[in-house]
Amino acid sequence: MEWLAAITTGGLAGLGLWMLLDRNLKRVVLGVVVLGNAINLGVLTAGRFFGERPAFVEAGNAVSTANPLPQALVLTAIVIGFSLFIFALALLKRTRELHGDKTTDSVSSITEQPAPDWHDSEHENDASGAEARR
Amino acid sequence: MLYLLSLIALAAIMAPGLTRLLGARTGWLLMLAPLAAFVWFVQQIPLIADGGAVMQSLSWIPALGINLSLRLDGLSLVFALLISGIGSLIVLYAGSYLSSHAHLGRFHAYLLVFMLAMLGLVLADDLVAMFVFWELTSIASFLLISFQHDKAVSRRAALQALLITGGGGLALLAGLILLGGATGNWQFSSLSAEQIEGHVLLPAIIALVLLGCFTKSAQVPFHLWLPNAMNAPTPVSAYLHSATMVKAGIYLLARLNPVLGGSVGWGTLLITFGAATAVLGAFLAFRQTDLKRLLAYTTVTVLGQLTMLIGTNTSYGLQAFVLYLVAHSLYKGALFMAVGAIDHATGTRELARLGGLIRFMPLTGAAVALAAFSNAGLPPFFGFIAKEFKYTGLIEMGHIGWAVTLVMILTNALLFAAAGLVFLQTFLGKRGDYPRTPHEVGLPMWLGPMLLAIGGFLLGAWNAWPETWLVNNAVQAMARGPVDVHLYLWGGITPALLASLMTVSLGVLFYVMRDRVRRLLDRANAAWNVSGDLIWDRLLKRVFHFAGLLAARFQHGSLRQHLVLLALAVGGLLAVGLVPALPQLLQGSYSPISPLGLAGCLLALAGGVAAAFLPGRLTLLAALGACGLGLALVFVSVNAPDVAMTQLMVETLSLIFLALVFRKMPTVPTSGARAPWKRRLHASVAILFGLSVTGALLLAVSLPLPGEIAQWYQANSLPGGHGHNVVNVILVDFRAFDTLGEILVVALSALAAASLLGTGRRFGNEHSGEDAFTSPLLRQGLRPLAWLMMAASLLVLWRGHNLPGGGFIGGLVAACGLILLVLTYGHGQIRRVLPVAPAQLIGIGLGCAAGAGILGLIAGNAFLTGLWTFPGGLPLGTPLLFDIGVFLTVFGSALHMIDKLTGVRQ
Repeated sequence: MEWLAAITTGGLAGLGLWMLLDRNLKRVVLGVVVLGNAINLGVLTAGRFFGERPAFVEAGNAVSTANPLPQALVLTAIVIGFSLFIFALALLKRTRELHGDKTTDSVSSITEQPAPDWHDSEHENDASGAEARR
Repeated sequence: MLYLLSLIALAAIMAPGLTRLLGARTGWLLMLAPLAAFVWFVQQIPLIADGGAVMQSLSWIPALGINLSLRLDGLSLVFALLISGIGSLIVLYAGSYLSSHAHLGRFHAYLLVFMLAMLGLVLADDLVAMFVFWELTSIASFLLISFQHDKAVSRRAALQALLITGGGGLALLAGLILLGGATGNWQFSSLSAEQIEGHVLLPAIIALVLLGCFTKSAQVPFHLWLPNAMNAPTPVSAYLHSATMVKAGIYLLARLNPVLGGSVGWGTLLITFGAATAVLGAFLAFRQTDLKRLLAYTTVTVLGQLTMLIGTNTSYGLQAFVLYLVAHSLYKGALFMAVGAIDHATGTRELARLGGLIRFMPLTGAAVALAAFSNAGLPPFFGFIAKEFKYTGLIEMGHIGWAVTLVMILTNALLFAAAGLVFLQTFLGKRGDYPRTPHEVGLPMWLGPMLLAIGGFLLGAWNAWPETWLVNNAVQAMARGPVDVHLYLWGGITPALLASLMTVSLGVLFYVMRDRVRRLLDRANAAWNVSGDLIWDRLLKRVFHFAGLLAARFQHGSLRQHLVLLALAVGGLLAVGLVPALPQLLQGSYSPISPLGLAGCLLALAGGVAAAFLPGRLTLLAALGACGLGLALVFVSVNAPDVAMTQLMVETLSLIFLALVFRKMPTVPTSGARAPWKRRLHASVAILFGLSVTGALLLAVSLPLPGEIAQWYQANSLPGGHGHNVVNVILVDFRAFDTLGEILVVALSALAAASLLGTGRRFGNEHSGEDAFTSPLLRQGLRPLAWLMMAASLLVLWRGHNLPGGGFIGGLVAACGLILLVLTYGHGQIRRVLPVAPAQLIGIGLGCAAGAGILGLIAGNAFLTGLWTFPGGLPLGTPLLFDIGVFLTVFGSALHMIDKLTGVRQ
């Protein structure tokens, strides 16, 4: 079972990356989910699939159950991944409202506008230096 | 000593508040801290004069063997007296000088922080502690120079000072670490020349230490920053940039002289650089017409001379060093403060506009006269003795000494003439053309210069006192062997006296012919045509340009290129590492495949492929749903029912949100970049990434699982956590702190997302929101289902500790139920069903979870320790409360987001 899960994980990871590299922001947001799915499955797989039963214990009889720790980790990871996804979705919605449809690269050109206190002229000539020498 | 430092630190912290209360009079109160230090240091004089030392140590970073050890010996004492004594006067002076400034409190605080750092620097016995204080003085100096930060000149000067001294500081750090490493000794007091003699690293240590000291003490070619630093308010110039901070480099040279002074290069370097600095400073000083800049350049000269004197390593030279150090701090501090007073009173510092001031400012004038006499090196002032010893020390050195003496005579003559400019031209002669009618300044402003100037006079006239109590021990501390100290005003007709006479006559000549000398210097400067500041500016511009070029190469702003690079690096590295492990991957023993798992995997992959390639909106939604559903099937097949339920609920909610947002967006085109080569690149990067992830995971699972952690949880879940569901017990008990952090993240991102989702066109009425469904069938059918789900969620929460379920799943189920109602009946349903707003629900949830932890704390256990009671056999415990907190947080988060999203018409 592990090798099947590993292949699925790899496949989903590759697909997720492909989606993140897409020009369309909507698909990028979906890519976050697919990559998240891959990671969740990967973590669970790394804990090995041993045991015949889910991780429930009874008093007195020790039975071989599944590894509970990665399950706990993945459970919270899924919920956090959900809130991250909604946040990405909200960003997508807001970006569209403010700037219209944007491709991935043109988003960074919007967000990377120079800081408000940046003055090009200060760095073009030696105004400040000349002043000091006076 | 530690208490004194703490006292000054306390004064620095309280300074802004006190100044707001007391205004300009705060100086009187704040000066008590340095004054207390001064008094304490004075009390230590007899002890130190007997050859003792005061030690104090505080363990600071024991793991690295770094102690905050302080040691007061002769050399430290001289410096400490100067720092605390002049410091007290400066604090007083500053209160008056900047009385009308809005940020006087801040200024006081910076000044006291500097004082703390400087005292720490001269007292520290530990190399690392000394360096920390050293850097702190640089930072304090930066803040003080840029105090008038609304002026571009001040900002530039501050940055220049910080870059030069900070850069030197780095070199010094390297030097000190090499020194400590080579000797195995990290205390100044236990370092000795034998430990380092002939060591292979010695030249490097000397070079690095000298670089640090030279930048700090403004030696050529690093002298640039000091005159520019005069843009700071005058108290700063008087204190930092003449009396104390610039002497830090000199102090360290003196401190390390016994250790490093043995090598040939040390003396030569010190004398060469010192002499160059002295000459350059003197010439530049004489050219200035601004009193303050003139004094700044004379400071450069003196720093050069001091460096040179350490380099002589003769007994007279070292005595001269200590004498001159004290004399200069006294008279230069006085002169700077007086110049500030003149500026304050007349509104100008230009020599050409000053003259005849003695009539208006007799007290300041008297102080300047005394200080200038000491500066000029006339008897019986302290400066005279210092000058005599300087000459004797240099002449003792032989041929080089004579050459250097000539340099010294020349620079001292120029200093003499400069002193003349400061006193004669400013205070005597005919009345100047002042912008303001001058007046005598207040007591706080003339007291400082007067006391310092009188001090310089008294120390010279009664020179037995400093000899016995101060100079002797300072010289012993920095000399390489025992030295006999004897101060005198009249030593008979010696070569040194002749040199003094030459100096004075040359100085008088320079003063009388001052205009011609200046013209000559200006012409020489025009021919020489090198401006250090210009070079500095160009250099800085180059550095910025280079940095910009480098940054632009990596910060190109294309997210996709970043991602490609990242994925290539990760994938490539993994692939390279995986190739040798290939045989092992094929031999691993894996658990058998279940049909459900196979179906799930295929469904997940198919969904992923569809989501990655197909165009459209609903198609993508369905594809994503299939992917998540497939994953849930896999989770079921590997005995993880809790995870599968969570996945299912999350997938449902995700799709609802996605549908609501995508509904108003244009369709998504087929995936892939336009350019074929780019498409191929992205595809190959994605394939490489996927393959290496698969390979890495396979390699991991083919190895046996290390540790017994799973077994530990299984064994302790029931006895320790009173729960059969190990996964849930881990979440709410064993790793509850982790979970607390996670629900905090969920809450925060929900709040952030909600504020973004809630924007859009509002049509006047806040309560309008999205349209509801109008189908009666749906309306009637869904209401019972929704209520059933919400009831079930409570059951899921309750039984979660023993059976599949828990707070996370329960919260998600409840959210699904309520959202069903919202979709059917409209946005108003949330407030109709819930008594509180969803955002408050989040708060209550986090409160429950944290409260469950605090209960454990109250009971005397660690935070989040589970407490249990069994009323009537019913297991109740704080983990249950914690799980309720998780439930409420998750429930509230999902609702808060849907509330905002559907609250406005999109």
